[in-house]
Amino acid sequence: MIKHLAAAALLLTTACLAVGPAAAADPGITDTEILIGDVEPLTGPPALLGVAASIGHKIAIAEANAAGGINGRKIKYVLEDDGYITARTIQGVKKVIDVDKVFAMIGISGSGQSIAVMPVLEKSGIPTVIDVAPVKFLWEPPRKNVFVVGQSYEEGIVHLVNFLADKNPGKKWGLITQDDDYGITVRDGFDSVVKAKKLNVVYSGNYKKGQQDFSSDMLQLKETGAEVFLAGGIIAENIAMMKELEKLGIKPVTGIFWPGRIEPVLKLMGPAGDGIYAVDYVEPFAGAAGKAFLEKAKPLVSEAEFKGINRYTMTGYAAARVMIAAIERCGKQPTWACTISELEKTKNVETGVMAPISFGPGIRFSNQKLQIMQADAATLSFKPVN
Amino acid sequence: MQYLIQLLISGLAIGAIYGLIAMGFAVIYKSTGLVNFAQGEMTMITAYIAWTISTTVSGNVFVVALGAILAAVLLGLIIERLVMRPMLGEPVFATVMVTIGLAVILRSAINFIWDAYPHGLDIGMGRGIVHVGGIGVRTGQIAVIVTLLALLAAIWAFFRYSKVGVAMRAVAADDRTALLMGISATRVHALAWAASSVIAGIGGVFFALSYDLSPAMFQLGLKAFPATILGGLDAVLGSGIGGLLIGITENLAGGYLGSGMKEVAGFAMIIVVLMVRPFGIFGERDIERV
Repeated sequence: MIKHLAAAALLLTTACLAVGPAAAADPGITDTEILIGDVEPLTGPPALLGVAASIGHKIAIAEANAAGGINGRKIKYVLEDDGYITARTIQGVKKVIDVDKVFAMIGISGSGQSIAVMPVLEKSGIPTVIDVAPVKFLWEPPRKNVFVVGQSYEEGIVHLVNFLADKNPGKKWGLITQDDDYGITVRDGFDSVVKAKKLNVVYSGNYKKGQQDFSSDMLQLKETGAEVFLAGGIIAENIAMMKELEKLGIKPVTGIFWPGRIEPVLKLMGPAGDGIYAVDYVEPFAGAAGKAFLEKAKPLVSEAEFKGINRYTMTGYAAARVMIAAIERCGKQPTWACTISELEKTKNVETGVMAPISFGPGIRFSNQKLQIMQADAATLSFKPVN
Repeated sequence: MQYLIQLLISGLAIGAIYGLIAMGFAVIYKSTGLVNFAQGEMTMITAYIAWTISTTVSGNVFVVALGAILAAVLLGLIIERLVMRPMLGEPVFATVMVTIGLAVILRSAINFIWDAYPHGLDIGMGRGIVHVGGIGVRTGQIAVIVTLLALLAAIWAFFRYSKVGVAMRAVAADDRTALLMGISATRVHALAWAASSVIAGIGGVFFALSYDLSPAMFQLGLKAFPATILGGLDAVLGSGIGGLLIGITENLAGGYLGSGMKEVAGFAMIIVVLMVRPFGIFGERDIERV
């Protein structure tokens, strides 16, 4: 009898060991499902980026699921709202990792929020691809499990100011920035080109986050005779500035940064927004790649979600594609270690919405290629400038 | 000189919007003794409703105005009946906390009902630019200044001459005695919430006309609250004037001291004024502050 019991126990142990890899696999993965988590601002003004990025994730996931999922497993997207409040981001990330037990993380709110949540991500060791707000701190120093798709704010501003400076030599410059980390980054990038190219800066303003009336600021800009203007607002601020300039009857050559490069902004700026320059690393919707992306997205999301698509949808889509591809390359039994290793091996992954994405050993930042585009008020779109 | 005039006009225009919302604060405080921390959010909701009417029903200015006023009245009455009336007799602190909770709910409602994108309110007027002596002004800016001045006169007459206005003052002064005199405090409260919602909503609609609609619009309440403190929390007319003063001060500081001083200047003025008159420029001495 004892012999039979021992044999049965041995058989059971052997059976358990045989299916061991699945049972001992990292969280968030079953025979039929893989959970991917995300925390974004879905309420409040920054929902403009959070909702759009989550739509991009959904498009990539829907596309993969329609093609059979990841090696037969369907992807389930677990999305939490942080309202752009850092404490809620940390709470949300902990929840999706510890309670929902997701297999991987994508997206993750704004720059300040993703910086704050970095210790949680590092400690957990979960494979993560950040796509919403690329800032240097997220990849310098490189963290083993955290990858960033995009381009740094500093590089973006330097690229834009260099372009405008080369196009408008000897002109007088004006700049206004927000009084936060975003504004400091914009100003730092601007200042580096000012030094290098010896630009003549006649106006330099700084506004408090949340300011809605820019009448006195733009009046000062006009008084200084600035001919080239870097509008360092995000969305509503840039609209208010351009309308104020229109009221004052001046139209300096104006550049804006990618957080504000969304098409509805042009409608609100009206004729005042015609011809403004922007820098970005994702394709404009008016181009062939942008149109193809919209065509692809249409059947994969609801009508309301389709209306919410903007540039952040493209960044979200690209990040989700990279993550899905890495998990897929791990085969039937993906683990965190394998996914991280495969993310590191990501080489020239084509997403169709930006330049090919690559990481590498010790390289956790995709360093996307930048392009300048110009607003066309007639078609309410941004078009690439060659 | 033209620079100064331009700053003054722009200051008056944004100040008139602050003033209208500040008057909304004061109407509720004067009638109920309560500071409504959801005032900015109520302003925003009314503006969004006006935009919805303009895009779905008609862009005609009269249709939008009438629809927005009715919606604001309803919003004020619903909040008073469902949220504030059950709090009657409860500690002031608890009631104020309820308005803070209400603010968060209304703020979130924007994303649930509408979206996070900025929108422009187009009613066929208000966006044009007129030039007077070389100074550009939007017609909507002129309209909001005129509207504020007209409302100041109308509200002064309302509180001074109408029975309802006198009843509201009586409830504000002593609600128990007013009750003994046959005045229904709950009706007065309901009226105050409706009136406050409409007045502040007008400010919101003018803001949307001159600038744009976005979920950040609730922050107007944060700018208007200092205006009502400056003018006097219990002074409806004073709050309107407080708004104008804040708008002008902000713009002059921004224009002459630098853009960074713009936000600081209004608050600096409030500190100085409150040190001299703790109850505000037009407020009465015996008021309770929260």
